[in-house]
Formats: sequence, structure tokens, C-alpha cells
Amino acid sequence: MDRKIGVYICHCGSNIAGTVDVGKVVEFARTLDSVVVAREYKFMCSDPGQSLIKQDIKELGLNRVVVASCSPHMHEATFRRAVQEAGLNPYLYEMANIREHAAWVTVDHDAATEKAKALVSAAVKRVYYQEPLEAREVPVNPATLIVGGGIAGIQAALEIAESGNMVYLVEREASIGGHMAQLDKTFPTLDCSACILTPKMTQAGSHPNIKLMTYSEIAEVSGFVGNFKVKIRKKARSVDLSKCTGCGVCQTKCPTKVNNIFDANLGKRKAIYTPFPQAVPNKPAIDREHCLWFTQGKCRVCEKFCEAKAIDYEQKDEIVEVEVGSVILATGYRVFDPTPVYQYGYGRLDNVITSMELERMVSSSGPTGGQILLKNTKEPHSIAIVHCVGSRDINFHEYCSRVCCMYSLKFSHLLREHLPKAEIYEFYIDIRSAGKGFEEFYNRVLKEGTIFYRGRPGEITDVAENKDEEGKLIVKFENSLIGERERLPVDMVILSCGLEAQTDALEVARKFTISCGSAGFFTERHPKLDPIATMTDGVFIVGCCQGPKDIPDTVAQASAAAARVLAMISKGKVATEATTAVIDEEKCSGCRICNNLCPYTAISFIEDKHVSRINEALCKGCGACVAACPSAAIKQKHFTSEQIMAEIEGALV
Amino acid sequence: MPTTIRGAKTFVDEVAAEPGGDKINECIQCGVCSGSCTTVEWWQYPPRQIIAMIRAGKRKEVLSSPSVFNCVTCYLCTVRCPRGINPTKLMHAVSAIAEREGYHPRTPTKRLFESLRNSMRRGRVWEFGMALRFYLSTNIFTGLSNLPVAWDLISRGLIPLLPPRKVKGSREVDAIMKKIQAMQKTGGQS
Repeated sequence: MDRKIGVYICHCGSNIAGTVDVGKVVEFARTLDSVVVAREYKFMCSDPGQSLIKQDIKELGLNRVVVASCSPHMHEATFRRAVQEAGLNPYLYEMANIREHAAWVTVDHDAATEKAKALVSAAVKRVYYQEPLEAREVPVNPATLIVGGGIAGIQAALEIAESGNMVYLVEREASIGGHMAQLDKTFPTLDCSACILTPKMTQAGSHPNIKLMTYSEIAEVSGFVGNFKVKIRKKARSVDLSKCTGCGVCQTKCPTKVNNIFDANLGKRKAIYTPFPQAVPNKPAIDREHCLWFTQGKCRVCEKFCEAKAIDYEQKDEIVEVEVGSVILATGYRVFDPTPVYQYGYGRLDNVITSMELERMVSSSGPTGGQILLKNTKEPHSIAIVHCVGSRDINFHEYCSRVCCMYSLKFSHLLREHLPKAEIYEFYIDIRSAGKGFEEFYNRVLKEGTIFYRGRPGEITDVAENKDEEGKLIVKFENSLIGERERLPVDMVILSCGLEAQTDALEVARKFTISCGSAGFFTERHPKLDPIATMTDGVFIVGCCQGPKDIPDTVAQASAAAARVLAMISKGKVATEATTAVIDEEKCSGCRICNNLCPYTAISFIEDKHVSRINEALCKGCGACVAACPSAAIKQKHFTSEQIMAEIEGALV
Repeated sequence: MPTTIRGAKTFVDEVAAEPGGDKINECIQCGVCSGSCTTVEWWQYPPRQIIAMIRAGKRKEVLSSPSVFNCVTCYLCTVRCPRGINPTKLMHAVSAIAEREGYHPRTPTKRLFESLRNSMRRGRVWEFGMALRFYLSTNIFTGLSNLPVAWDLISRGLIPLLPPRKVKGSREVDAIMKKIQAMQKTGGQS
């Protein structure tokens, strides 16, 4: 059949036309082999732009279409749909990316135009050999895996479970709750964090559709959208959850005390512990790193006192395999450790504390019972709060952590409540109170008499220069609004630490084949229009693992992800790649190299014919087998050798 | 009365074109440089304010102020700057422009350097001579108040009262010091 190719070049406003001479590219395209028509338009992706293509297909009888515009990530689906609506197979369309690959990467107009020509020529040569393909559909497993049991994971789990679908909620700590469980009150409404979180935790713990897996981690992930197979490692808890009644006797009898991580290391807990009194499940785990039995081979006191006989020292890590249709990652964040900010003296000077330490101190269920205490157990008379510790700083994290300004203002308010006579100072660079009710809260704190100094402190020291400074911490800073260097003696300094990505974020990202940005947070599919999806279909990211954010934003994302998952479940099937690989049985020598190479176990060996065969329902079109086949018997649809050679030839104009 | 800003951009561009001044536009005015500065009590305008004034086009005020000549190049500001601006180099850039324009303020820092230079003619530092020169040229009373410390050091033989022996190649050392002095006028460029 005669090839009739239509070429459409997009201006993308001034994005492409600003650098690439679109007119010249159109002229050039007209000279190419089999090109019947070449046109330009301001926005090809718009309705009139698409109609242009559809009209030409109908009137000029085009049977191949090339659009030179932006990245396929942006609009490949759009144009495939357009040609399909005009009655053409969507795989007879090819995209040339002259925006990201030409216009945006140079300011040299001539070079950009030349490259745009090369890309268009490559696409035209390639599309000549493209063949119609049919996409297939596979059923979606209605179960969902949620990784991370903080507020994001809990919220998403409840939304999905309520619809009647199964949820596996995996949490690596002994209890769900996450960072929100550590907080005292939340800005700006001063809702008690525990009061709004614990009911959700209990609900998640007892919901018939939620399978809670605490003290567990993801070991391995395989499969694809709609049909993931996930191996979960249940870490040895040393307590049989089915027998344990949660009476707590073991924790009172255990002789080993260790730092309580939940209380930001302020208090102590036992080696057998539930992280906090409202834990879900409210049953303990043994910390094997510290337990006397595991470290020194003696004790076993908890076993003696446990009436339910739930203690099991022999327990081993166990791998559980589940099958799910989609995955929501809600792995959260880590609080920045300010020790490397040497000048602020954390860990070196007494009474320089982190925001999380203060958070636990003001909490009535915290280690001090809600009292603000110095190391010498006296109450402070003056407190300095230092903003942006670890954030907005190229030495640590370049980004703004978004929540520190507001939680620092909240601290001012809470400290005022706890210590009405104390002097409270905030050291800030800019107050970022963008959010509903945030600015009003800032005004409230200003009215309460907190003193704000604009200036990032240079140093916090305990070296006194005069009598007033003796025995105090001195904040050395410039009051940048009056341009004077000053020293402020205070009793306590709170470092408002930023949020950073989990240390193992990259590892998790690799398991789910998604990517991390430079700061370590997971990368979303599109920063504006698809902030919760990832480049891997069926894997969603919510909460702080995607970037620092506050609780309302996290909850909103969790619900959004739940809606996306439920949409997939209710549709019941997803389209799979039409670009699968096929084995030419005539050529196959039966060497079986491809069989073990396939990451989707899509290739099986037919014994009686002595050839391999690909199950197209499982094939994802990754191309590993195609490249490996020594007899060139495997062909990848849409990426055939002749298509690729033609493309290369075209690019070399 | 409010004044009309004139030529703010030209002064910023002038500083940005000077070696070490290139990152001036990236400053977020957090003030960590001033908060860390070890000699800030001698500065008329702290380093952050110098940057703000450059951006405001206060050319005459900045160049005629002895502030930047007080920088002792301790680099504390540079280590702590959250934007990687290197305020040390920036201040040197400003002082280079000021020197070219004919401002030669005799700040304590400059005097300290001169005293160091003069006490190094034998190729190694003669601390006692340096301290004596420095305090005589700045404030003799500060020097006197430091006498107890000085006595402790002298009695332990840590600060010899007599000048040290001439070292081999003392002429070359002197030449290096001369070169440094010359380089100061060009903002660290040879």
C-alpha cells in the first residue's frame, strides 16, 4: 500500500517557535519521501489542532501521521486518540520531540532548527515502517498494597477498605501512626493530634477489609499494573500476636531500659515494648538489639510472666506473598538531624533541642508529662526558636520544608500556654504562612507577644561575655531589620528541623521501579497535573515521601490516590502494552537464553517443538529478550529492526 | 524624604563583574554572615547590609565605608552561607573597587596586616614586635589590658622579646608579602 504521511509541527506557543524556525522545518518536511502534507499550528494539542489532523486523514487519505511537538509523556496519548478517532490505528502515529530535545536545550536558533529537522526526518522514516497494533486488556486485582502506616497510609487504607476492597497496610514499626502520633497539637487549629489520629488508627486496625502488617517491610516486587506480586518480610517480633492479650506485664517486668525513639530519645522504654500507649496493634515487640536474652543469652523474664504464653524467642523473619492490583507508597519522611550544623551546638550544648524533642515535651503523654524542662529540671524563662535548620541551605537541603514556620509559630503559642511568663523569641528568614488560617495564626502569635527577630543566627554558644550571659545559651545573630549584630542570652534553644527523605527511599524506589529526585523524594508523573501518580502505572505516592507537606495536604493526597485506585478497580481492567515481543518459531534454536532473562516470566519453553514461546498477556515489551536472542528470532512489535534502522537513517540527514 | 533610586542595577552589575562578586544576586539576606562575622564590631555596616546597600545602589556609602576593610578572611560566613555565596570574596571584591576609587581606610585589620608585614622582614614572625606595633597604631590601652596574658606567654618563653634569627630566603618571604599587599588592591587577582 502507498504510504501517505502527514507531518504536523507545533509552535507550543513560543516554547518551540521561540527557538526553532518552524517555517523552515515545515518546508523541509514537505521535501521528505511519502510526505503528502506538512502543516504548522500554534497548539497542535488543542481542539482545532487535533481537528486539523483528523480532517487531513479523512480528506487526503493519510495513513501515517507524525506530530513534532513535545515529549511523548505529555501528549502521545492525546494524538494517538486523535488519529484513532479519525479511523487510523493509533500505532501508525509517531511523535518527534522538538521541544525538550531541541527548543529547550539550546539558545542557538540555527542549531535548534537543524536538530528539529533531523528529529522530524527520523520520525517520518520510522513511521513508514510502523504497523497497526492492537492493545489488549487484562483484569485488575481488586486488592491494594499500602506501604507506610502514617496518616497518609491510614487515610488511603480506610477510603479503599470502606468501598469493600481488600487492603494490605504494611508498616515497618511495631505500630501504625507514624510521625503524627508523636505530635502534640496541630497548626493552625490546635486540634489535638492524638485525638484526631487514634480513632483512625483503631478503625484501620479493626477494619475487616484491612490486613494490617506491622513490623514488616517490602522484600520484593514483581508484576505490573493490575497484577503485582509483592513479597513482604514480616520481621521477627518475638511475640505471638494471636496469643498476646496486650496486658503489658512483660513491659513492666523487663529489666532492660533503652532510649525511647518515639519520645525523640528523651525518655526510656523497655527492650520489650509497645511504641506508645495508644499503639495499634497494642501489642509489644522485642527489640532484639537490646534484649538481654538475644545479646547475652540470659533473662527470659518476659516469658516467665506472660500468662498467655505469647513470647516466642524462636520466631524468624517470615516472607508473605500477596497479589495486588495497585500500590500506594506512603513511606513518609525523616526529621533532619541537626548534629552536622555544628555552630548550633546540638548534642554539644545542653538545652539545645530539636523540634521533635519539644513536641514530645509539650505532649501531656510525653516523657515530662507536658512540662517544659531544662536539663537541670528547671523551667526555662527565655526560649529561642531557630527556623530553617537544615532547610533552605545548600549545605544541607536546598528546599524549604514547608511546615517548620508554622510548627514554630505553634510552639510559640504552646510555650506561652505552658510558661505564661517566659520570653519567647523566633529567629526567622521569612515567615511562610501560606495556607488556610495560617496567616491568622501568625497574627495571633504576634499578638501574644512573641518577639520576632529577622536573621539566621550565626552561632549558639555558652561562652559568656558578661554577667547577664553567664550560665545561658547565647544566640549570636544580626537583627537584619536594623542592621545590628546582637547577642541574646536564653535558657533554651529549639532548632526547627526540616523534613528530609527517608534514608532508604532510593532502595524503595528501586523495588517499585519509580524514581527519586535529587533531594531523595519520589518523583511524581507530572508536578502539576499528576502529583500522586508515578511513571510506573499502578504505583502511587502520597504524603511526605513525595515532598515535605503538612497534614491536610497529606490527607488530601491519600484520598486522591484512593480515588485513583478505586477507579481502576471499578473499571476492572487495564490496557496492556501492544508493543510486545513475538518469537519466530522457524528461527528459534531453542537455546532458552531468553527464558530466564524475562523479568515478567512471560517466556516458556515448548518441549515437543523445542522452541520458546512468549505469553503476550504477561509481556511488558521491555525488549530484554529481543536484544539477547542469538538467532535474532525475537521481534519486538513497534520496535522492529527495520523501524529503528530507518529512524537512525532519518536522524542522520 | 524618600529618594528615587537611580543606578541600583549598575552598581550590582559592577560588583558582580568583579572577581568574587558574581553571586551577589543570589543572596537571600538571611544575615548568617553578619551573625558569624568575627570582626563585626568594627564594621559600620555588617556584611549582609553591605549586600543590601549594593543592591540599593548606595555606591558612595558602601565604598567610602571602612566596613569591608575589616574582613580578616576567616571564612566563617562562607562556611555557613546557605546560598554558597562566599561573602568573604564578595567583601574583597568591594574593597578592591574601593581601593581603586582611592579609598584607603586604616582599619584595625589593615593595621594588623601592616604590623604582621613589618615584623616579618626577617622571614619569620616576631610576635612581640607585631603585637607592639599593632597596639601602638590602634589602641595602646587594649594592649596594656592584655599585659597579664602577654606576661604569661613571655615568662613561658612562648613570645620571645628579641627578634628571631634571619631565615634562609628571608628576601623571598618579603617579596611574597609585598605581592600579597599588591594583590589586595585588585581583589585577590595577581
